[in-house]
Amino acid sequence: MALDLYQTAAQLDAATAHVGNRGDERARNMDIALATLRGADAATLNARVDAAQGTLAFLPAEAVEDPGVTHSPGPLPDDFTVLAVDGSHIDVNRHLPLRCSLINIGGCRLTYGAAPNAHMFSKPSLRTSDTDLYLADPASSASRQPVEGALMGLVRAVQEADALADAVEEAGSDLPTLALIDGTLVLWELGGDRYPAYVRSQLMGNGMLAALGRLRTMAQQRTVAAASYISLPNSSEVSNLLRLALCDYDPMGDCQRHCRAFIPGDRHCDAVNEFTDRDLFSRTLAPGERSALFASRSSVVRDSYGDHRVHFFYVNVEEEIGRVEVPAWVADSPELLELTHTLVVDNARRGDGYPVVLQEAHEQAVVTGADREAFAAMVERALEGQRLPVYTSQKQRSKRMRYV
Amino acid sequence: MSTNGNQSDPGKLMGGTPLGTVVGGSLSEGVEVKLNDDASVEDIPVGSYVVIQGETKRFFGMVNEVKLAATDARLRTTPANLTDPFVAEVLSGTAAYGTITVRPRLLLPMIAGSDVELAPARTVPAHFARASKASDADVAQVFGVEDDRHFAVGTPLDMEAVVCLDLKAFVERSNGVFGKSGTGKSFLTRLLLIGVLQSRLSSLLIFDMHDEYGWAGSDAERGRQVKGLKQLFPAQVAVFALDAEKSMGRPVKPDVMVEIGYGDIEPEDIMVLRETLNISEVAAESSYSLERHFGKGKWLKAFLELEGRDAIFELANDININTSALASFHSRLTNRFARLPFLVEKPSQDSVQALMDQLDKGNHVVLEFGRYGDDVPAYMLVANLLTRRIYARYRDRQMTESVENGKSTTPLSIVIEEAHRFLSPAVASQSTFGIIAREMRKYNVTLLVVDQRPSGIDPEVMSQIATKVCCLLDDDRDVDAVMTGTSGSRELRSVLAGLESRQQALIFGNAVPIPVAVRIRDYGTTDSYDSLMRTASRRSAGKKTATSIEDTPSPSDRSEPAEPQAAAGRKDDEDELFG
Amino acid sequence: MTTNNQEPNRIAEVVETTTTGFTAQCYELYGAPALGSLVRVGDPAVYAVVHNVTTAALDLGRRVMARGASEATEEAVYHNNPQISRLLATHIEALVVGHDVGDATKYRLPSSPPRIHGFVYCCDANEIAAFTDGLDYLHLLTSASTPAIDEVIAANLRLAAESHSDPDAFRIRAGKALAAELASDIARLNAILRGIS
Repeated sequence: MALDLYQTAAQLDAATAHVGNRGDERARNMDIALATLRGADAATLNARVDAAQGTLAFLPAEAVEDPGVTHSPGPLPDDFTVLAVDGSHIDVNRHLPLRCSLINIGGCRLTYGAAPNAHMFSKPSLRTSDTDLYLADPASSASRQPVEGALMGLVRAVQEADALADAVEEAGSDLPTLALIDGTLVLWELGGDRYPAYVRSQLMGNGMLAALGRLRTMAQQRTVAAASYISLPNSSEVSNLLRLALCDYDPMGDCQRHCRAFIPGDRHCDAVNEFTDRDLFSRTLAPGERSALFASRSSVVRDSYGDHRVHFFYVNVEEEIGRVEVPAWVADSPELLELTHTLVVDNARRGDGYPVVLQEAHEQAVVTGADREAFAAMVERALEGQRLPVYTSQKQRSKRMRYV
Repeated sequence: MSTNGNQSDPGKLMGGTPLGTVVGGSLSEGVEVKLNDDASVEDIPVGSYVVIQGETKRFFGMVNEVKLAATDARLRTTPANLTDPFVAEVLSGTAAYGTITVRPRLLLPMIAGSDVELAPARTVPAHFARASKASDADVAQVFGVEDDRHFAVGTPLDMEAVVCLDLKAFVERSNGVFGKSGTGKSFLTRLLLIGVLQSRLSSLLIFDMHDEYGWAGSDAERGRQVKGLKQLFPAQVAVFALDAEKSMGRPVKPDVMVEIGYGDIEPEDIMVLRETLNISEVAAESSYSLERHFGKGKWLKAFLELEGRDAIFELANDININTSALASFHSRLTNRFARLPFLVEKPSQDSVQALMDQLDKGNHVVLEFGRYGDDVPAYMLVANLLTRRIYARYRDRQMTESVENGKSTTPLSIVIEEAHRFLSPAVASQSTFGIIAREMRKYNVTLLVVDQRPSGIDPEVMSQIATKVCCLLDDDRDVDAVMTGTSGSRELRSVLAGLESRQQALIFGNAVPIPVAVRIRDYGTTDSYDSLMRTASRRSAGKKTATSIEDTPSPSDRSEPAEPQAAAGRKDDEDELFG
Repeated sequence: MTTNNQEPNRIAEVVETTTTGFTAQCYELYGAPALGSLVRVGDPAVYAVVHNVTTAALDLGRRVMARGASEATEEAVYHNNPQISRLLATHIEALVVGHDVGDATKYRLPSSPPRIHGFVYCCDANEIAAFTDGLDYLHLLTSASTPAIDEVIAANLRLAAESHSDPDAFRIRAGKALAAELASDIARLNAILRGIS
């Protein structure tokens, strides 16, 4: 017996009892939050954020429109293409005899209309060379970062974006096209000083931004929108923005100064702080509608994304509230923005609440547990085939052959 | 697995139609052959011949059982949707199939037609040996082709090949023609006699009860008369007649009118009639006493001339015989013999000598009984009396000749009808016929018995009948009698039972290598005479170069074949003759 | 998963293979040959009879969902969900019934099964007529334990008959060959024969 589900269930019961007790207070807060959202004025809030420059203890969004506005989707084009890319990877595993990793990029292209079509692909790439396994400083060969863990995820995200640009290029279609990435467009982990500059430049300037740049170039020739879709988003950038509407202090937003002594829950702004953006928009968006457009104020975006500054909106895809992120050049084009909104809603409807094209891209990309084991076995077999010594950690062996 | 339909046609000569495959069986019961799906049981009557090509041997055998079988017993209880002709056609020969049982009889040479002695089959072909209908060539191999020694009697029931009797084997032993009345026994006998006659292997003495063989015979089925031996072979056949009145009406008169002297009748002749005349044994044996009393050669006349009870009583006393028995004996004999015109005090010529003269010339004698043929005791009396005396002559001659030069005289075949009367268990021990049958060819005399009730014949005699030519028999006892001592009698029975009532016969015994059911060759039409005579002339022609064949008896005193007459007779139309 | 245009008879590709049979994925969704069809794979050819056709999600872990509740026609379901035809696949399962050795066709199992990714071709009329000239392969079919094999046999023989110049004669010949195989099971034989006539 691995996980003791009986004990877990008991603990779960205790936790949920606490949630239920807070129902009334939460409903009161929701009313306040919704009223705030509806009454919010973009210019005022943006000004307050700008004024509180650097003193906020939280990250608010920038309102491009009044936060409370909603938009219905546009008419569905007769013929269009939806395209998505997803990725997954097998990280470097020290239990394996060979230092290696694997990235699998899966994609799906669906064409709707008079000549429906579907195309799916997956492209695995084994990474064994030093250039695969390390990001090296071009200036100094001595410093390098191993591509593992979080960095592995970043490399993969960049490859996904690149693959998306490739896929749009390959499709070569004149139909209105929406190119989707699963997840966020923002490489959050590159924020701050966690990684050296040479890593940032390789992944950002030569990576993500280059890919977005290719997409934008194509968008200048034909109708191509690029976006990413986040299911069940947990972000609170809009609700954070609304906190400034509720702040009574002067200067507004200097949290360190005014509210350092408060326990969370007692502050004025806590009426909205309790809710994620999703909580709020699930009350205001009718099925198919999208929220107002916002822009990201994250330092990563601000510092690195330039022309591709990430914008976002929330959308009611009937089963849930999703978050759609778009680069600035999509956000600035009413046509592309509406296309993005309309096609996301349509594709999610076809997929019972989640865009079909993302589902299928995921299916193409996914690396299952069985695949991982098969991969490990293949590595060993390949080494044996070359008569190279095979060392496998005893732990790895014990996992593979479960004996009593 | 190809079931190419046109495979069955070619090769009539190369080999017969394929029938099936050996799947089991034994030597004693016969081998079972599963029929091919294109071979129908309906085309394979019991008795037909089959050749089975074994691994190293070719077996020749006879179908003795035909069966229907199914691979699945359920087919009997729940027949398939046989209304569907497709299903019916598929199932026939596969799931529902026929089998035949074939009893291997002979081994044929592996190369058809090669001149090798046929050996009896002492084993069976191996599993899955191919069975096919015997081809004409196979049958010819077995039954020979017509030549000096072989006489075609007909064709196998379902074939066109010719079945030949080995005449040499035929005349060496006593033979029988059996069949219930109306099955064409005399028709068949006539053919056999022609065969023997032409072969010159044996002389014939025919006690022609119903005047079937001499001048002309009757063909009851077609309601016409057919030619007798005399018409076909006038120079070689002498017709003796008992019935002067009837014979006088003929276009050609009998060669000899037979008269029997009372003095020629011996007690033994009376003993033979005991059953037929219903005379008690005591009374019959009194003949010997009478002979002693009145003297040899005189006793019968003297006894028959006694008149009145007193004279009989007196005689009974004299010879010490029961009075009433003798009286009854007297009245029986008187009733029977006193009215027979051919019984005379003193015959105008010695009939036995006349007969012997003809036989010695190599001729054949037909004794026509005319109206007396219906008088069985008269027939028996004459037949027995003449046979006894001729047999005695042959016996004497044989004894002296064999001592003198070791050369045998021409064998004699005696043809009798109603044979069971002469050869019943009670009589056979005493009658000359019984002796001839038992002693076989010791004295160069054999019997050809023609009978409708073989069960009446002494089994011991029956066992000496070497070749049996058997038409349809109804009575099981008769069938038993015929089959006694024959191997494979079970299947022969079914063959026999399957014969048509006319013109078909089962032949088994010495003269044929294996039992054979034949459709008897035609007789009575101009064509049939032609074909018979053609054989005769061919044979005679062959004779000139073949006289030296050592096993062909050719007595120096034999008259030359009457070729011109035979040819002349051939031209005669039977209608003109009998109009 | 691309349709192949050069060889119209090429319909599928082996994805699972055993000594007695193989599974092949059709290039076209619902592009399976008729039940009982004779197919050939490899060179020298291995012949097999299609005994089962399956259409299901390619990924066995994914269930197919009903999608047509708001669609007017079945066609519309496929039209509006173009990915379906990529996610579903039609597979044929075929029983090996013979193989070529030189110029001869042997009605028995090959010493090794067809290879994975072997191209599967639908036999044309000439090939069918040539193969079914011998009927020993029926033994392999009748002794197979797959479900509804009798229907398969009947279907196979119906199709084969059409390829012969004298279909009736072929049916009789095949029926008799079957009767030999199923000698001890008249009920079964009868059922198949009904299917042929």
